[in-house]
Amino acid sequence: MEFLSDSVVLSRMQFALTAIFHMLWPVLTTGMGIYLVIVEGVWLKTRNPDYYLHARFWSKFYVLNFGIGVATGIPMEFQFGTNWAPFSEAAGNFFGSVIGFEASWAFMLEAAFLGIMLFGWERVNPAIHYLATILVAVGANLSTLWILTANSWMQTPAGGEMVNGKFIVHDYFQAILNPFMVNSVLHMFFATLETSLFVIGGISAWYVLKDRHQAFFAKSLKIALAAAIAVAPLQIYIGHLSGEQVFHYQPTKLAAMEAQWESSPAGKPADWSLLAIPNEKAQKNDWEITVPNALGYILEFKKNLSEPLRGLKEWQPEDRPHMVGLIYYAFRTMIAIGFFFAGLMLLSTLQWLRGKLSAENIAQQKWLMRGWILAAPLGYIAVESGWIVRCVGRQPWTLYGQIRTVDAASHIPASNVLVSLTGFATVYSILFVAVLYFGSRIIRRGPNLNLPIPGMEVDKPAVETTPGEFVPDERPVEAQE
Amino acid sequence: METLSYFLPQVWFVVLALFLFLYVMLDGFDLGVGILSLTSSDDERRGILMTSLSNIWDANETWLVLMGGGLFGAFPLAYGTILTALYIPILTMVFGFIFRAVAFEFRELSTRKFFWNFAFGAGSFLAALGQGFALGAVLKGIAVDETGHFIGTTWDWLSIPSTLVALTLIQAYVLIGSTYLVWKTTGELQVTHYKTAKLAAWTTLIGAVFITITTPIIYESARSRLFQQPLVYIFAVIPILGVWLIWQLLQSLNRQEERAPFVWTILLFVLTFLGLGLVVFPYIIPTKITIYEAAADPSSLVIMIIFIGFLIPIMLFYNLYQYIVFRGKVTGGQYGE
Repeated sequence: MEFLSDSVVLSRMQFALTAIFHMLWPVLTTGMGIYLVIVEGVWLKTRNPDYYLHARFWSKFYVLNFGIGVATGIPMEFQFGTNWAPFSEAAGNFFGSVIGFEASWAFMLEAAFLGIMLFGWERVNPAIHYLATILVAVGANLSTLWILTANSWMQTPAGGEMVNGKFIVHDYFQAILNPFMVNSVLHMFFATLETSLFVIGGISAWYVLKDRHQAFFAKSLKIALAAAIAVAPLQIYIGHLSGEQVFHYQPTKLAAMEAQWESSPAGKPADWSLLAIPNEKAQKNDWEITVPNALGYILEFKKNLSEPLRGLKEWQPEDRPHMVGLIYYAFRTMIAIGFFFAGLMLLSTLQWLRGKLSAENIAQQKWLMRGWILAAPLGYIAVESGWIVRCVGRQPWTLYGQIRTVDAASHIPASNVLVSLTGFATVYSILFVAVLYFGSRIIRRGPNLNLPIPGMEVDKPAVETTPGEFVPDERPVEAQE
Repeated sequence: METLSYFLPQVWFVVLALFLFLYVMLDGFDLGVGILSLTSSDDERRGILMTSLSNIWDANETWLVLMGGGLFGAFPLAYGTILTALYIPILTMVFGFIFRAVAFEFRELSTRKFFWNFAFGAGSFLAALGQGFALGAVLKGIAVDETGHFIGTTWDWLSIPSTLVALTLIQAYVLIGSTYLVWKTTGELQVTHYKTAKLAAWTTLIGAVFITITTPIIYESARSRLFQQPLVYIFAVIPILGVWLIWQLLQSLNRQEERAPFVWTILLFVLTFLGLGLVVFPYIIPTKITIYEAAADPSSLVIMIIFIGFLIPIMLFYNLYQYIVFRGKVTGGQYGE
């Protein structure tokens, strides 16, 4: 248990824990924000009350996730100062400014309009409300933009140089538009959207299988599916572009992602390992299944590599990432999920075209619905895996090639970090269980289909804010429509 | 270039002070209401208290995130040093934020509200406590070497003066929280908070008097600064003005006015803040490191002014708009759907 007295290791563990936990919540609020913009827009256009009720129902998940996203994001910001003070000082010129941009461009916008979006239905007119919904979604996505800009810059620091241990920026736009930036932002943008779409689709599928509000949820599933038709293939494409960039800019990470210990020269084909057990001590894979000559096709769509692929052995152990197995399998997990999503989307689209997803038929699609339920948590796993590849793969550097992680950590007693780490682990575990519990309760209660529709005559009490236990909707299907 | 390296850090000092002030004022009443919820007699009242914050707590808290981000970008050295030195108070505050933020969602969904009520109240208290100790420790001075890096120990922030500052800050939050509730509520709840406001006004006054008297006695550095010409006149006026404001506040509470107490309290916060700013300036780590020494590269400061500056009026506008949308008294204890 040597690591318990190493404040660098503990700070890394704390950052990893808080980042992995934090990431779960903004993923949904960022992607779902766009979904809510779509349904509210359709409602305003068609005035079909169903879409209004969709907006109200799905925003319950939004708000459940939002509070935790905020609460767990604040420790991330402050940790740069508490646990990574030398990094903050060295990289503050650029990295700190970008954190400031995120707060001012993104958080404030989202926070200020969220209240109106959630509680303002009766207080502002529909156009203003819609504007609030749009601004909340814009705010959340601007947050992705700035955070991914900051993180990309940590991967490919551009636009300046280290002078006396501090990064001096010569060209801000070059630093912002660093080599990784555009693809990283897009990859994350599609990741949040895809995860949210499959969560919404998965929950909808659950209702369909449970025989509850089928017409209502067939609709939300189809909205999610329609969006996924564009998003799932695009995400695979952007993912591929990101992989290519890693090949060019972060050879150590690529070697770890593919568990390549030996180098392959340019102009020759290289084998691709499909599955392996990497052994860091022996610097080889204990066991592996390889696909001959595939790596060139994967990286460049051609047989022979145009530049050499450097194996891990080319670097001294202290200059390359550790936990090769973790990086290798996290990478494969992410890709497998990406393809699973695309496959599920294709299959569902096929059934849709055959008319099998209509309100009357959808309940018969039992296996397809089970597939969607299975897909609901997978997006989260893919996102977390992607971040593990990205940030564990960047090691031993905090700022790739410039600042080592050991030099980036604050000099604080390990006991302090141990106490805060334990605190985070405990509190976050409780929160995780609580969210699952309350989330499942929202699902079990189902949508409140009796909400008054703004701008329509009501014959019910004005505000029915606490729906009781689930009461089956016994109206004929036509009425539910 | 010479003038720029003086001018830019000063601009950022003022901008960050503005963010911090907005934070202290807005999340101040927010946290104050949270602390007061610990004393609420029943669940309906706690519900109303939380409703009065449901749509604004997040935006209020964001001013701190903004201040943090700005400090990180504009004075990276200070950001690292201060936060490292204040590891425990900062983490205390962060955990407090976590508890109270999730309490908003979970309380509404929960059938057993006791736990989340407590999480909200205790979280607010912890956040205020952490901030109070942080403020106290910064005023007392952080141990740094000549390059501005922290060389103190884990518990440096804990001392009798910093405890006094922490307690006074909590009282001030309770005061502004009470006057906010006087403004936003009616009936019995309002009557209760007239009382808590009055009590908090007295305890805050006592704390402030203690701090004002003891600071120059204990700290040599503060003494030389306070009695410097011509600042001494300003520092003489501030306590007098402060006492006058508290007297006005107590009067308006006695007259059962609804909005005036909140306004007087805000003016008190402005005055205190101006006083603190004048004591601290031009230091960012008081009496050790000036804003000029800790500032980021001038090019960073310029780009931050370009990227953030134009947003300041816009941010103020839409925050204000939000308050306008939700103006009026809080009714009922339902804040979510």
